[in-house]
Amino acid sequence: MELRDLIREMVPVKESLTLTASGERPYVAVDAAHLTVVVEAGVDAHLVVLHQEPKSAEVTIRLAEGASLTVNELFLAEAFASVTVAQGASSRLKLTAVELGSANASYTIDLAGRDAESEVNGVFLTADGEHARLAIRTNHLSADCRSRSIARGVAGGRSVGEFEGMVYVAKDAQRTDAEQQNRNLLLSDVARIETKPQLEIYADDVKCSHGATVGQMDQEAIYYMRQRGLDEPQARRLQIAGFVGDLVLHCNEDRLCEAVSALLEQKLSKM
Amino acid sequence: MLKVKNLHASVEGKEILRGINFEVKPGEVHAIMGPNGSGKSTLASVLAGNEKFTVTEGEVEFEGKNLLDLSIEDRARMGLFLGFQYPVEIPGVTMANFMKIAVNEQRKFRGEEPLTAAEYLKMMREKAQIVELDTKLTSRAVNEGFSGGEKKKNEIFQMAMLDPKLAILDETDSGLDIDALRIVATGVTKLHTAENATVVITHYQRLLDYIVPDYVHVLYKGRIIYTGDRTLALKLEKEGYDWLINDSNE
Amino acid sequence: MADKNEKEILHDLTGEEYKYGFTTDIETDLIEKGLSEAVVRLISEKKGEPEWMTEKRLEAYRYWLTLEHPTWAHLEIPEIDFQDVIYYAAPKPKKQLGSMDEVDPELKRTFDKLGIPLEEQMALAGVAVDAVMDSVSVKTTFRETLKEKGIIFCSISEAIKEHPELIKKYLGSVVPYKDNFYAALNAAVFSDGSFCYIPKGVRCPMELSTYFRINAAGTGQFERTLIVADEGSYVSYLEGCTAPQRDENQLHAAVVEIVVEKDAEVKYSTVQNWYPGDKEGKGGVYNFVTKRGLCRENGRLSWTQVETGSAITWKYPSCVLLGDNAVGEFYSVAMTNNFQQADTGTKMIHIGKNTRSRIVSKGISAGQSQNAYRGLVRVNPGADNARNYSQCDSLLIGDRCGAHTFPVVDCRNRTAILEHEATTSKISDDQLFYCNQRGLTTEDAVGLIVNGYAREVLAKLPMEFAVEAQKLLALQLEGSVG
Repeated sequence: MELRDLIREMVPVKESLTLTASGERPYVAVDAAHLTVVVEAGVDAHLVVLHQEPKSAEVTIRLAEGASLTVNELFLAEAFASVTVAQGASSRLKLTAVELGSANASYTIDLAGRDAESEVNGVFLTADGEHARLAIRTNHLSADCRSRSIARGVAGGRSVGEFEGMVYVAKDAQRTDAEQQNRNLLLSDVARIETKPQLEIYADDVKCSHGATVGQMDQEAIYYMRQRGLDEPQARRLQIAGFVGDLVLHCNEDRLCEAVSALLEQKLSKM
Repeated sequence: MLKVKNLHASVEGKEILRGINFEVKPGEVHAIMGPNGSGKSTLASVLAGNEKFTVTEGEVEFEGKNLLDLSIEDRARMGLFLGFQYPVEIPGVTMANFMKIAVNEQRKFRGEEPLTAAEYLKMMREKAQIVELDTKLTSRAVNEGFSGGEKKKNEIFQMAMLDPKLAILDETDSGLDIDALRIVATGVTKLHTAENATVVITHYQRLLDYIVPDYVHVLYKGRIIYTGDRTLALKLEKEGYDWLINDSNE
Repeated sequence: MADKNEKEILHDLTGEEYKYGFTTDIETDLIEKGLSEAVVRLISEKKGEPEWMTEKRLEAYRYWLTLEHPTWAHLEIPEIDFQDVIYYAAPKPKKQLGSMDEVDPELKRTFDKLGIPLEEQMALAGVAVDAVMDSVSVKTTFRETLKEKGIIFCSISEAIKEHPELIKKYLGSVVPYKDNFYAALNAAVFSDGSFCYIPKGVRCPMELSTYFRINAAGTGQFERTLIVADEGSYVSYLEGCTAPQRDENQLHAAVVEIVVEKDAEVKYSTVQNWYPGDKEGKGGVYNFVTKRGLCRENGRLSWTQVETGSAITWKYPSCVLLGDNAVGEFYSVAMTNNFQQADTGTKMIHIGKNTRSRIVSKGISAGQSQNAYRGLVRVNPGADNARNYSQCDSLLIGDRCGAHTFPVVDCRNRTAILEHEATTSKISDDQLFYCNQRGLTTEDAVGLIVNGYAREVLAKLPMEFAVEAQKLLALQLEGSVG
């Protein structure tokens, strides 16, 4: 099913949305310049944010105590999005951002209530002439919170990919468990990756780690795949898809997964 | 099927193969043995087309074509299969998806229609049984997190899926316990027909208890210095290579 | 009782006190406070420098005037009045004491803990040492050996006069005055420093150390060091002193330049333990240093630093890997306690092919201190097969300190493989309990654990340095636990 058709089945959101009860159908915001979403206590929801136009967007999300939200944000155009999420106690956020080309996405997650948990995944793929930026800032403002941010970037042609991560642990945010990981693939000699995986820590009883890598395609794997009859471009595409695939496919729903992975395939054929 | 004539190959300027000659006919099983560093794995890699190695001299004919002119993938699609000594992990790429592409590429090469999803699933289930491979593994990433035994079973599973004319198995027995060895070796035997051929590269004769070779070649310093029948393997097991090496160092 | 004494002593050790001794009987050696072209000319004149050097200084000074004080570091730096600084005070006299009995007992205690021989203690504390240690003769023997090999090791002032061709060629070639605010300031007013030249193919037979020159030149406020390792040569250089140098100067803005020619290797080790200020964060040295080396083909530069002193440490010893196959290394232990602040790390700039770099940084924060690692790994488009591995760990002791990591990885070559890892940990109660149970005091246990944590870096130091550094770490941690 194409993404367009899938979106028609979802509940459209314009400017603001307050969710007081859990529902089956996902909510969708398409090219919203301003969006405010409040998920009330104990409510479980799924939101799709889509950028089809090169516009800027400001998204503010608040999760009340025990609320749970899955967000899939998809960039199909060169949009600038700044997303702020304030999480109450024991709330859960699972956010996945996919930039299939030039885009600028910044996320600020405030873990403001005890026992809140966030998982933010981001992917960018840039082909010749594109520039993508992904920034994830997680503020541990309260004790006993957990966060995980995983970002993967692939840059081909003459393109630039930037990742900026920050885990901030406030003075009293004891027993914080934060993980930040960024891995990148450079496909061409003129592509560029810049990554800043940062930590700012003011509490001592914390488990914080981060890692960042920049590397190239695994030639051994390409050889292996060719030995089984795949040609080189196929093997390369498959490897890139494997590199970002598990993150891209954090969709909460099979049909959305299929639609996104079809878009990914299209993108890969241009890289 | 395969004719290798005076094959020389080098890596980073160092000559590893120094004039290999042998011929494989349909229905045959060949074993290549030899001490460490004699060039066994290099021979397998060169036949598969690994670009790390440079062929400096000689000819290889496969199914009437000049093998050395073909790309890695065309050799594979024509039915040359290499079972890797160290199967490569490919993160994020599921076994099922990988094999589906591989099988359909081969079919396209032969001018056949791609398999439907149902046909493919059925085929996968059948072939997995040959090596007692847990079908759950096919939904995992290629070789990632597989145990040593699983990796080798997975190689033979892929061999079954691709049904090659010539399978070259590079140290498929290394690192296997006795049960896994039996399963892998039985799998290979089951896949053997009068139309295809198998070349097994091994250190140990124990594999040859299952996969009975018609010819045993001893490779030493980049040359085949002796060819015998299966009894040669037994003799090598008992007496080592010294008697042969001394002979060849005249 | 003992506590009180210690506090009093510590109070006496604050920077305030040093200002007193400063004005006595040394007025002739001082120039007026403040900075102007006239002052820059005067410094140059006092040092008897040739005209070209004066011009170099003035050029830097004029450029410095156009700059603003940088604010990007994770540091709180009180505003510095650059007109309130005396830019020339040489030879910097130390208050001469009659005997070891006059030495501050706290300082004495520190020396003893560090295991510094008595003669050296006296030298460091400023006791007249004529009979005990003839530093001049030590220096002389030492220089004879070097001379035989053609190695030049002298003060930078001397080098400007004696080896103008080398100075003209290399000074400012790695750290130009336009590099940053403090590099410009240093280029204008540097007081003294060391110059070292290792000729082609020579392996320096001993560890070179400014330690040998401590009485001769003293450590200036604006030190300038230039090390040139010509083709195929090797030198291991130890910077500064390992004892708590009592120093009147608040602001230290040194520049270290290293030129590693083809096939040469330089190891540069620093153990920095300047006065960190008192337990309330009063006083202490500001240590704002620019250190950089340039490596040509197959050149190898290894920075090792143990930073335990200074109120504020702000420096990034860096490697420009210009030639093919050049290797850069940075091993660092930075410990901050009380109200100390550190923002330190490195830059590895990969320009040549097959260049490799390795970064191991171990931060230790205690008390209410702030400790940041800041680093840059950059791979230029031509740097095929560049490799970097970075590991930046932080250890927190207590819940009022901060540990931060600000790495930047900028990769413009697809054949490069770069890895960065960082972890943050604390000394666990379980570890302490385990050690206590085996009879160790908590203080010893912390010292032990910290040294274990820093071992990978300490192991890179020359033996005798490593031993002192280990003791320093433990010493600096006193009072941070329990």
